[in-house]
Amino acid sequence: MSIELGHFALVLAFALALVQMCVPIIGGQLKNETLMRVGEPTAMAGFALISLSFAALLSAYVLSDFSVLNVWENSHSAKPLLYKITGTWGNHEGSMLLWVLILAFFGALVALFGRNLPLTLRANVLGVQGAIGSAFLLFILMTSNPFTRLDPAPMQGRDLNPILQDVGLAVHPPLLYLGYVGFSVSFSFAIAALIEGRIDAAWARWVRPWTLAAWMFLTGGIAMGSYWAYYELGWGGFWFWDPVENASLLPWLGGTALLHSALVMEKRSALKIWTVLLAILTFSLSLLGTFLVRSGVLTSVHAFATDPARGVFILGILMLFIGGSLALFAWRAGSLTAGGLFQPISREGALVLNNLILTTATATVLIGTLYPLLIEALLGEKISVGPPFFNLTFGPLMLPLLAIVPFGPLLAWKRGDLWAASQRLFFAFGAALLVAMLAYVVIDPSSVLGAAGIGLGAWLVLGAATDIVLKSGFGKATGAVAWRRLIGLPRSVFGTALAHAGLGLTMIGIAAVSTQQEERIVALQPGETVEIHGFVLRFESLRPFTGPNYTEDQAHFVLNRVTGKPLGAVVSAKRLYQARQMPTTEAGIRTLGLSQLYVSLGDRTPNGALVVRVWWKPFVTLIWLGALVMMAGGAVSLLDRRLRVGAPMPRAKPGKAKVAGEGARG
Amino acid sequence: MLFWILAALLTLAAALAVMRPFASRKATSTDEKSHDIEVYRDQLDELSRDVERGLIGKDEAEQARAEIGRRILKATDASQDTAKSDAGGQAARFTAAAAILAVPLISWGLYAVTGSPGMPAQPLQARLEQDPSNASIEELVARAEAHLADNPQDVRGWQVLAPVYMRLGRFADAQTALRAILRLSGDAPEVQAALGEAIAAASQGIVTADAEAAFEAALKADPANPKARFFLALGRAQEGKMDEARQGWQALQEAQPEGSPWREAAAQALASADGNARGASGGASSAPGPTQEDVAAASQLSGGDRQAMIEGMVSRLDEKLRDNPDDPEGWRRLVQSYMVLKKPDEAREALDRGVAALGADTEAGRALAALARDLGLPGE
Repeated sequence: MSIELGHFALVLAFALALVQMCVPIIGGQLKNETLMRVGEPTAMAGFALISLSFAALLSAYVLSDFSVLNVWENSHSAKPLLYKITGTWGNHEGSMLLWVLILAFFGALVALFGRNLPLTLRANVLGVQGAIGSAFLLFILMTSNPFTRLDPAPMQGRDLNPILQDVGLAVHPPLLYLGYVGFSVSFSFAIAALIEGRIDAAWARWVRPWTLAAWMFLTGGIAMGSYWAYYELGWGGFWFWDPVENASLLPWLGGTALLHSALVMEKRSALKIWTVLLAILTFSLSLLGTFLVRSGVLTSVHAFATDPARGVFILGILMLFIGGSLALFAWRAGSLTAGGLFQPISREGALVLNNLILTTATATVLIGTLYPLLIEALLGEKISVGPPFFNLTFGPLMLPLLAIVPFGPLLAWKRGDLWAASQRLFFAFGAALLVAMLAYVVIDPSSVLGAAGIGLGAWLVLGAATDIVLKSGFGKATGAVAWRRLIGLPRSVFGTALAHAGLGLTMIGIAAVSTQQEERIVALQPGETVEIHGFVLRFESLRPFTGPNYTEDQAHFVLNRVTGKPLGAVVSAKRLYQARQMPTTEAGIRTLGLSQLYVSLGDRTPNGALVVRVWWKPFVTLIWLGALVMMAGGAVSLLDRRLRVGAPMPRAKPGKAKVAGEGARG
Repeated sequence: MLFWILAALLTLAAALAVMRPFASRKATSTDEKSHDIEVYRDQLDELSRDVERGLIGKDEAEQARAEIGRRILKATDASQDTAKSDAGGQAARFTAAAAILAVPLISWGLYAVTGSPGMPAQPLQARLEQDPSNASIEELVARAEAHLADNPQDVRGWQVLAPVYMRLGRFADAQTALRAILRLSGDAPEVQAALGEAIAAASQGIVTADAEAAFEAALKADPANPKARFFLALGRAQEGKMDEARQGWQALQEAQPEGSPWREAAAQALASADGNARGASGGASSAPGPTQEDVAAASQLSGGDRQAMIEGMVSRLDEKLRDNPDDPEGWRRLVQSYMVLKKPDEAREALDRGVAALGADTEAGRALAALARDLGLPGE
């Protein structure tokens, strides 16, 4: 019964989403307050129903209820509990349910915390959220129902794709969806502004925290996916320019641009129309990612669904929302009041430059991703646009952007002084140059490019530090005063600095690994050793091991420094999952400081030796640590006081409004 | 029943959520522009905080303050119609009614199409604990598997499961079970032979080196083991060593008593080997006998399935002879087969057709009639 109740709750949530789509917007047009208020309780009830539905599916997975088709297709009773849980969204139907669950969660958050939004804006935002929700709920119910039953029920399931049986599945998709779907809120705000024909002052203040939250989660989701691919696929790459990866990078680039343009809009009431357009484009790119991954257009680990009916349905949703919103934009953008003009050398000027470069980069990645698909669809030819294309186009676009990042926060609003900013950055520039030279001399004198990349990363980190130091006034004021000012700085200043520094750390990691990684491929007999970067890896033995639903051959290694200092054991394995008879590699990874030693197993040679690939990956962890620092920056920024605008109390005297606002914040 | 009550309650709750704003007609409306002014006031506060911290110069702060002040003025001046709780009249009332009706209509209507309301949840653990007497074979197998996962030392369980796996065609699982039996209760010729059979079945009836090793282990303990002897001979045949294969089958046929299934299997294999040999030397028209895979498969089947399979082969032969009747050996086998299957009427019909096709006066026709008499089928 629990399963059918979950199914019914999902259908009911669809009915509510339809109400949430129509009633508040109609109310907004009729200026009827009661109708406009219908959005909030329906959004919250819809979230409760979808949660119930998700819980029903989750319990079916945990209890191995193979009378549910989806559970039978993707689970196995011998699977460890964690993978039974994560398996819920390790497939097309379940992940779509997670998608709408998160969408409903954001809708409920808007309803809950949106009391300080103007009523019409809130009604329209919830209405657009309801439209997105009902489209996707209909998609789930019509083409990808996770509650389809099997009668009679089989006694054993077909197991989850072994590559997905990993902790990564517990983290990567939920984070990524929080990111993708989070942009739906910015999108809804943009559409609401277009429907109403005006942009409230609260608009930018509201769009920014949502964008920030979505951006933060998306950053984490992409980084986690990259780390997962790095350790699971067994060849040690962290980014492959795979179309599916690009599908997540596109909204990230768009979202980053949106984050910065929303800042200009908030502070200077400029770039309004552009920000609305970016909000539409960013969510459209999220939808495009969903379409690419699920329509069967691409083949990859992520392409769960290869049913053309689903592809057509998603394409329909995509055209409805992207086409509809762009048409609405073309029709209504004229009625929005454009913002003021400003000087090119100013904070807002720098942010516009940032936007220009980021949108160009987005377009580049978009073309590189879609071009092969178009060629294949139109001419039937298979071409592949690989890393060389992106390295030649995306790289040169991003490098100047990274180079100017430290200037942005140092320029004043309205009228900046580039020369003064440069002077202040003099120390950071010199130190970064020193780092680059050190990298060139000490680490690897053969790679100018690598040293330059590391120097660029250091420039970002030091530039961010400079910003904090200058704003707190170290050097000018006494230590105690500066310290007090440092503590009193708005959180958003720290957020900016952390995010930019995190970008720098990632840059250092990428530059170091791309240019200075070492690789050995050897065939080892037990007892033989391989030397790499001052370490000696000795192959001890190959032992069989049986896990809950797999068997594996574990190769045990002992790692020592050349000097003989022991560093413990490294275990790498080749695994076979019985239910699907599918092999996977389990890389042996040893983290030493910020660098990693990566051991992956190949086949046995005829004379019994084991082919072993060993990589030395200098500073590789910085790639993902940098992303974590970026996330931390986003989180700190979200806590900034100004993003919590107080709500005016009904009929309160002007003098008391402030106090009431304070109360609403708590 | 409980499901329908809960579904009705959920629907009611959802409809109530839609109705809530209509129930509380408190006038909570605020002026839309007061929101804007609140934001601007907040910006002014922020500005003065920035000035305190020295983040922004005096002149810049003054300019910014003037700019925000202009925005406040503009917002105050803007005339805006405030929303009312009863605006819209007829259209609003219609929308409200439609919304409240839509919730039960859409949900129950759609669920009627997509749902399976009568179907209970079936968590695996609960199914395994049910009364076993009305369980399906898969359920019994899963139950035994769950039991063996907890008690892998239970030989009896593996012994029960192994032949069931073979019957279900789960040959890899059968091997696991048979190996477990060997591990737990020591070497036994029947188990070794069964293991060899499972290995061969897993590789589509080919007696692989692994299978051969198992059969040989069986023969070491029991040189007369018929299954091992049959499959080893089949292995020879698959390698093309037909003489050795024939010898093996011949010996097996002689060693087994009348009516033993292995005696029949050996006889059939011999006949098919002869047929193939003749086909290879005597031209293309000869009807092919059962392939090695057929034999291997037949030996794994249960009595009923084996019968069905043999009948299938016989009717194939029958078809072939209708198209290509000039085949004395084919007619001989067809008549013989029908007699083995205890279908004298079909045998008689085949005999008549065969004699007619070959000609009653020819040597082949007379030989066929003689065979029929030997089989106890009187000629006309």
